[in-house]
Parts: sequence; C-alpha cells; structure tokens
Amino acid sequence: MTTRRGFLRGLGGAALALPWMESYGAKTLTSGVAKRMAHFYVPIGVVRRGFFPGEADATIPKGNLGSLRRSLDKQDPNFGVRNLDQLTPTMMPLSGLKNKINLITGMDRTFQQGTDVHAQCASCYLSSAPPYTIKGTAWPLDRTLDHLVADVAGRETPFPTLEFSCNSHKDNKESIYFDNISWYGTGHLAPSVRDPRKMYRRLFSTKEIDRYRDVTDLVLEDARSMKKDLGYADGQKFAEYFDSIRSIETQMDRLESMKGELAKVSFDEPAEAYLPRGEYIRLMGDLMVVALQSGLTNVATFMVGPERWDTPYLFDGLFDKPMSHHGMSHNQTKMIEQLMKVDRFHMEQYAYLLEKMEGVVEADGSTLLDNTLFTYGSGLGDGSTHQYNDLPIIMAGGGNQVKTGQHINMPEGTPLANLWLTQARMMGVKMKRFADSTGEIDAVKV
Amino acid sequence: MYLSALNGAEVLKVLHENCAQCHGKDGKVKGKVNLLEITDLDHLKGDPELLQEIIDVIDFEEMPPEDEPPLEVGERKQLQADLEGLRFEAVSEQKAFVPTPIRRMNRFQYHNAVQDLFGLKCTVYSLPERMIRDHGGYFKPASGKMGDLVRVGSRPLGKSQLIEPRLAGVAAFPQDLRAEHGFDTQADHLSMSPLLMESFLKLGQSITGSQDFGPRRVGIWKEFFRLDPRDKREVKVVVRERLEKFLRRAFRGWVKSEVVERYVGFVDVQLARGVEFSEAMKLVAAAIISSPRFLYLYDDSESDGFGLASRLSFFLWGSLPDEELLKAAESGELLKEEGLQKQFGRMLKDPKLKRFCDTFPAQWLQLDRIISSVPDPEKFPEFYFLAYRDSMHMMMEPLLLFETVLIENLPVTEFIDSSFTYRSGHLEESYGKLGNPAKKRSGQVGVLDFHRVPLEDRRLGGVITNAAVMTMTSGPERTQPITRGAWLAGVIFNNPPEPPPADVPTLGENPTEGEEHLTLRERLSMHRKRSDCRGCHEQIDPLGFALENFNAIGKWREKYENGRKVDMEGVLFRKHKFTNVVEFKDAVLLEKERFVRGLAGHLLVFSLGRQLSPADQIALDEIVKKSAVKGYRMKSILGEVILSKSFRALASQAKK
Repeated sequence: MTTRRGFLRGLGGAALALPWMESYGAKTLTSGVAKRMAHFYVPIGVVRRGFFPGEADATIPKGNLGSLRRSLDKQDPNFGVRNLDQLTPTMMPLSGLKNKINLITGMDRTFQQGTDVHAQCASCYLSSAPPYTIKGTAWPLDRTLDHLVADVAGRETPFPTLEFSCNSHKDNKESIYFDNISWYGTGHLAPSVRDPRKMYRRLFSTKEIDRYRDVTDLVLEDARSMKKDLGYADGQKFAEYFDSIRSIETQMDRLESMKGELAKVSFDEPAEAYLPRGEYIRLMGDLMVVALQSGLTNVATFMVGPERWDTPYLFDGLFDKPMSHHGMSHNQTKMIEQLMKVDRFHMEQYAYLLEKMEGVVEADGSTLLDNTLFTYGSGLGDGSTHQYNDLPIIMAGGGNQVKTGQHINMPEGTPLANLWLTQARMMGVKMKRFADSTGEIDAVKV
Repeated sequence: MYLSALNGAEVLKVLHENCAQCHGKDGKVKGKVNLLEITDLDHLKGDPELLQEIIDVIDFEEMPPEDEPPLEVGERKQLQADLEGLRFEAVSEQKAFVPTPIRRMNRFQYHNAVQDLFGLKCTVYSLPERMIRDHGGYFKPASGKMGDLVRVGSRPLGKSQLIEPRLAGVAAFPQDLRAEHGFDTQADHLSMSPLLMESFLKLGQSITGSQDFGPRRVGIWKEFFRLDPRDKREVKVVVRERLEKFLRRAFRGWVKSEVVERYVGFVDVQLARGVEFSEAMKLVAAAIISSPRFLYLYDDSESDGFGLASRLSFFLWGSLPDEELLKAAESGELLKEEGLQKQFGRMLKDPKLKRFCDTFPAQWLQLDRIISSVPDPEKFPEFYFLAYRDSMHMMMEPLLLFETVLIENLPVTEFIDSSFTYRSGHLEESYGKLGNPAKKRSGQVGVLDFHRVPLEDRRLGGVITNAAVMTMTSGPERTQPITRGAWLAGVIFNNPPEPPPADVPTLGENPTEGEEHLTLRERLSMHRKRSDCRGCHEQIDPLGFALENFNAIGKWREKYENGRKVDMEGVLFRKHKFTNVVEFKDAVLLEKERFVRGLAGHLLVFSLGRQLSPADQIALDEIVKKSAVKGYRMKSILGEVILSKSFRALASQAKK
C-alpha cells in the first residue's frame, strides 16, 4: 500500500492518474510551507473491545442502550503516557505509521439534552460549546474549529475550507445535523459535498467557474441596490449573500492565478459510475489530499459516513448484502465481529490517506503529513451506549511540532475541546479558550 | 391607563403573595423568574416576554404547581384578565409588529417559483418533501369537494413515486431543514453559504441549459426565448420589452429602469459575442434566477403592496404571485380589506393551493417523523410487508383529512374528532380490531387507493389518534407517553415543553429487573422523583398517557404485555377529567379555543418565517374571536390570519 504504484492499483487502475509530484501551492509568506489541518470523522462510535488498549475483554453492550450515555466499564481515570507499541486490532492498519500518530484516550464531550444524540455528536463535534450557552438553539453548536482555524490559515487559499462527506445514501432520511461537522456558526451550515464529480468540478473546473463571472457582477449590482431597501436586521442577515458572492469571486480570482499550477495536476475527472464503498471513500480522500497538496485549501473536514441513517449500504468486500452500520451498532451481542470489520475498514481508509500524505514531498523536503494535523475521531465512544465520554481519537501528522508514537490517556473529564485548542494554537490561531476547554493537551507538544 | 391604579396594585399583590415563595423569596428563583424584582407595573410592561410567560403559565394552569396551594378560580381569572390588559397596553405602546425577516427561498419555494416563472410543464427536480403524489388529479379546490376515492402515492416511502417528468441534468440543492417546533420557512434556518451560492449559480444555468428546456416543456418559450423573424424591430427593443415583463414577475414588483438596462446590457454582450438569441435569453434567465431579488423573500419598504402580495402567494401557493395579484398590489387594491379578501378567495380556488397542502400540514404534524419510524421487526412483524412499511399508507390519512377540511371548509374541530376518514384496504388492516378491511385491496405499494369512509367509532378520526402519529411518537419497542405528550402540547396546543435538564437519563426501552410488573406510568413515576421535573411533567404526562390504549404501531390494546390494564385516566389542564380516549377528545374539544389559537399561531409562524412576539398574541386573540363566529371553519381561520395585523404589518411602517 505504501508505494505510489500500489495506490493506483488499489484504486482500480486507469481511473486515476495522481499528481505525485512536488507540492506547489500552499506557501505562506512567513514559513515557506503552509500548515494544514484535516479531520476524519467516523460515525456511530467504535466497538470498544476492538479499538481501546486494555479493553479487549470489555463488556459487550446489549442492544440499544440509548439512554445510558456512559461507559459500561470503568476506564483508567488517571493521566498516563505510554509508548504506542502493541496496536489493538482496529488500529492495526496504522502499524506502519506508529511513529506518525498519537492515540489520545479519555477525552469527553458534554451532551446537551433536547436534541438527538447522534445528531449532536456529529454536528457539535468540532465546537462542543458548553451546554445552554448558545441562545436560541437546542444545539451546543458554535463556529467550528475548522473555520476558526481557516480565519487565520485560509487567508490565501481559493477555498478557506473544504467539506467532504462520504454519505452515499440516496434518501433524505436524516436532517443536516447528522451529516455535517462543519458550521460557519450557530444555525449557519457549511454544507459538504458528497459527490466526487461535484467536488472535482468545484476544485478544477475553472472553465465552468469563469461562466459565473458575468453573472456575479450582475447580481452583485442587484444586491447593492437591494441592500438600500432593507432595514437594519435584514441588512445584517443579507450580509451572508455578499459574503457568499465575495467568497466565490475571491475563489475565482485565486483559482485564476493558480491556473498554471493547477494545469499540472493530472487528476482525471471521476466518471459517473457506481464505485464500491472503499473506492468511493478513497477517491474522495484523494480529492482532499490533492486540494491540501496543491494549495486549494489548508483546512478540510472529511466525514467517512453520516451519523445514524438506518438505510443499509453495501460495504463491498466486507459483507454479501447491504448492511446498516447503525443497525449493527445496536446489536453488538450478535454483530460484534461484523461491526469490528466496519471499524477496521474505516481505519484502513484513514491509513490510506496518511500514507498518501506521507508520500507527498513539499518544497522544503518535508512531507504533506508533516505539515498537516490530521485527526481521526468519532463523537461517540460506543454506538450502543451512545456515550460522549472516552472518545476514540487519533491525531496524526504535525511533523516536528508534535511528539508522536504515544498512547496518551487523559485524566477523567478532560474536554475534547482541549485538543481542539491545542490544534488551533499549533495552526497559529491566538485564542485563550476554545468552547469548554480547560487547557491544552501538553503531551502532544514538543 | 387601561388598568386602574387599584387593579395594578392588586396584580402585584397576587403575584407576590402566591408566587414569590418559589420565585423571588430567600434567593429562590425557580425557572429564573424573580417576581420580587417587579415593583411596579411599568417594569412588567417593559418586559413583554416575561409578561407573556406569566400569562401562559396562568392560562395553561401550569402554575402554581399541583403541590402548592392553587389560586382561587375568581382570582385566577381576574389576574389573567388584568395581565392581558397590561399586555395590550404594552403592545399598543410599542405599536409596530415585528416585520417579517429577510430569508432566502427554501428548496420547495425555489422549485415552484422557477416552475411558475417559466410556465414549466414538468417538475424541475424531485421533491420527496411533497409527501402525497396525486394520481388522477383528485385535488380540485375550486369544486369545494373531495372525492370518495382518491388515488395517491407516497413520494418518500413508495416505490417509484419519485419518478416524474422533470428537467434532465438538474440537480437540486439539499433539502432545507425544518426548524425545531417549526417549519422549513423560518428565516433563521435559511442561510446562505459560498457552496450554496455556487449551487444556485450552477442550478440556474443547469435549468435553462437542460436538454429538456425547450418549446415542449417551457410555457413561455415563444414569448420570451424565441425570436420571431417577422418582428422587424431592433433586437434590443424586443429584449427590453421581454425583460421588463419577465423581471417584474421574477422580482415580484416594479423594477427600476437601471436594473432592466443592466440585464438588457448583459444580453447585448452575449449577442455581440455571437451567442444565438435563444441561448442569450437562456443565459440572462439563469442570471435573473441567481439574483438576490429573486432568491430572497423580503419586504421592500418602498412598495407595501408588492410585499404583501409575495407574503400571500408564498404562504398559500409556495411560489411567486401571478399577474393578477401583482396588479392588485400595484393598484393599491390589495392593501384594502375587500381587495385582500377578494384575492384570498381567488387563491383558495387555484390548484396551486396544493403546495400549501404539500408543506404546512406535514410540517405542522411533524409527519416527517413517520419516515424514519422503524418499529422492532421482531416485535411488530405485521408492520412490514414486501419490502415496505405500513407507514407508507399511514402517512396519507392525516394529510388527506387536512386537505378535505380545507377544500370543503369544515370546522377545524374535525382535526380533533372527525366523522370520516380516508383509508386504503391496507391501512384498514393495520388498525387490527378497529379497522374495517371489508374487501378492499391490501398490500398496494405504488398507486394507493384511499376511500372516504364514515367513522362511528370516536376513538379513531382526527389527527391525534391515527396510526401515523401513534407510531411516530413511539419508540421501536414501546410507546413513549412523554413523546406523545410533548407532541400534543406542541402541535395541538402550540405550547411545546422545554427540553429536560441535562443530567436526567431517559427511561430505557425495556423494564429493568424488578420493574417488570409495573405499568409504564408507574415506571415513569419511579423514574421521576425530582421536584424540578414535576412542573413540566404534570403538564405533558396526562396528555401522553391519555393515548396509552394505542400501542407503538397505533393498534388498540386494553392491556400491557405484562397483563396489567392500560392506565390512561387523567385530567386535562387540571379541569377536565377523562377515563377513556373518547372523553379525552371531548376534553380537548372543550378547550377548542386553545386549539384554534394554537393552529392560528402555527399558521402565522409558517407564513411569516419568524417566531411570534407578544404583539402577535393580540392578533391571535382576534383571530380566535372572529373565526368563532363562523364556527371555526378552516377557510375563515386562514382568512383571519391573513387579515390579522401581524400578517398585514407593513415594512414601511416598521421602518418609521
């Protein structure tokens, strides 16, 4: 899997020719090579036995323990750092990358009553505001980490952030709260793209985007004259329209100036065809990597699947028939083996992307992974107990800014926001506190 | 002043003597309400939200709680009247109603507006949110009558019901979210992002660029897109003439000449580049539907009539005003009561009224919840047939009742207790003992035949005790009385409970050890001993338990699985005792003013895109009073909503 040739084979051959050349964009004036951040979100938690060191004999939850929201077994409440030597079965795909990652256990989020547990664990994963502090909404949801970071790290890229989702469901079964981890602010969704073709066109179709230029000029004139007719409050809300149009114009300008460099990217437009789930996820992942690599963005979020969503889909190669991840999670007494296959399958995709980033050499000789904080995580510690505590989190990358190869167990009650604060600061954001954070995760810092 | 000084002192005295024990005294401020802080009435008048909150808890008999001494009946009535008087004063001092906030069109409105603007003879993209698919055109609002047999399909759950003639190559933006206790028309939920803006730009171009976008499908093809070779005028003159008319429709009002010239200039540039006439017109049409003047619904403070016309048409038609409505706005006729009523009457007869029925009732009743209801297949195997769920049939029943009450202008009390319903053979079967399968076909999966049947058994009928609502307010294995109670409080009485505190776990699906012999009510009361939970639960529990005779898939039962008799007795609003579900319905009917007020409130929120303010409460009082005279008929309630000050509040006045 580690060689470039291996990637291409893994993707089913001719569909993709990847730009594994030097990284061109992403330069900042100060440091030469840009810092990037990406988040890989895994829905519906993980099987604790398979993922967490020391829990191989953990109690198997029976059925849907939806109301429990705590661990069945007591986890180690004390701080500790160990070498990451023996990997658990679910983490095995990362065995070649042990010195590039930290496993961080013992971090929690706080659940705010009044919303669905799956919806909140995804939508508030990257903000985790203290409960009941955001007025006028049932969600502890604030501007999410990716946008706060992009406010600083995304000033020069065509896209301040990019949002990827590998939700291939055709039904509109669940609300946007199940399908999005990225939000501009409370009630202001940063929608994700599920279709690789759409994402490809968003990134590379400068021809298409040029067509909008005449139109944006025209409608912006309308917007200016219209704003005069609006009262104060409406004018505030209408700012969203200006911001959106301006973002698109900036995007067009920056894409325009990158045209030459983007032309060197040899990434074929994805065909409109059914892709087996693994190939689909890896194709979306390739698009994310190429966007980070080429300076199209410095910040990305990636949902490997939506929360809950009972509709089954085919995990090609894992099972004979379509399976519902959520359904299985409530039936661990019977389906634990299958569920662990799903967990491992998701980990393989994460590992694939890590290897891919490691294979990209940047202008100063470091790798893309060295310059990216790339975090695996889920908003649930287990899909049956629906616990918000002891979340499965792996932080990869960061190069010489990060101390790696460790299993860090945080003391009981450490907010996940502590890690987000640590990452925001590493990304150059000056902030005193993030959401309900109480400090940083010092053990990852050099 | 409305209240005499004496009355005012009385109000404070009653509040301080009866309520301050928990709300102010010795630092106790339950619910964050401190009544001792209120030292004079002006203080209370200056805080209309608090005033409204106090009126509500008195009105719904939520306070004082059951374990505290009650207010004497006369005293309670006087207090409520005095507080309402105070509210009236406070609001008349404020004068203006909150204006309707700016919001972008949601996916449904955008679809309809595009369809109407171009006169499309097909859909633009598929909309699973329109739950009922009409087969054979049963929906005829002008006839004033619904047929005995209606043929329908379920878009979200029925096989192939989403396959309809539409424009190829057009991809919609994702469905907009329904607000909590609300609708997908709410301004605060309809935001814009760069990605969505790009989708709108792309969507506009993909619509006019679709291979199907041509003379066959586009109603205005000839008058807008095709250049008549016999027309010898300068092309620019033709373009200007066409754009003036088109922009007026798209932007829903008069359009300044500089705006028209800008778009004319755009076409000019395209033509100069050698773009063919029809193509240039397609491009300008795509640009126009990306303009904020098209995408956003807002009150233009310079043209009151047009603002009202749009509000009206997006409310009843989910789309743009037609030319007649625009003319009524332009002439000022719409701003007069008779003019408004005339247009309202006309709009109710238009087939476009279906769009109101495609949105309001399903969202009001929160019927989207039935789509994701999955009762445990082992416990309820009868819920599943072929590759489908009974919910496909269930969801039609309350929707068809709503359409009938509207089209036939029946009293809205039919929503509580109807003398008829629409059923398919399959749905009759799913009701078990209470159903009447007769010889009607069961197991239909595509086009479903629904027959109008009289109902003698009052346990069924109305929107509360139907199988869809009973199923969607249950968990996979058991009923959830609290969920049902919360549904009733929010949907029927428009008084949704606050979410429970964070540190209380919910009750498990199955009894824990040692609790197997208890009824659900007993288990819940074991579970809920904290005094700060009781306040809310005293309100919602009697509502939810009243429906315990319907199991988790809406079937009648007398006993629980453990053999214990279903315990559903209770008292509604601490006034009306009931011992069976028919008595419960009677109790709700005794409170029909509250229901009508609740429904009118839902309609106002849906149409205005915002939460209600204290000023709107006065409007609601009037709507209830005026529609009572006409026996609470559906059209009279809708009419009073539209005639209300809240709905007619004008942007130009708000600005002053």
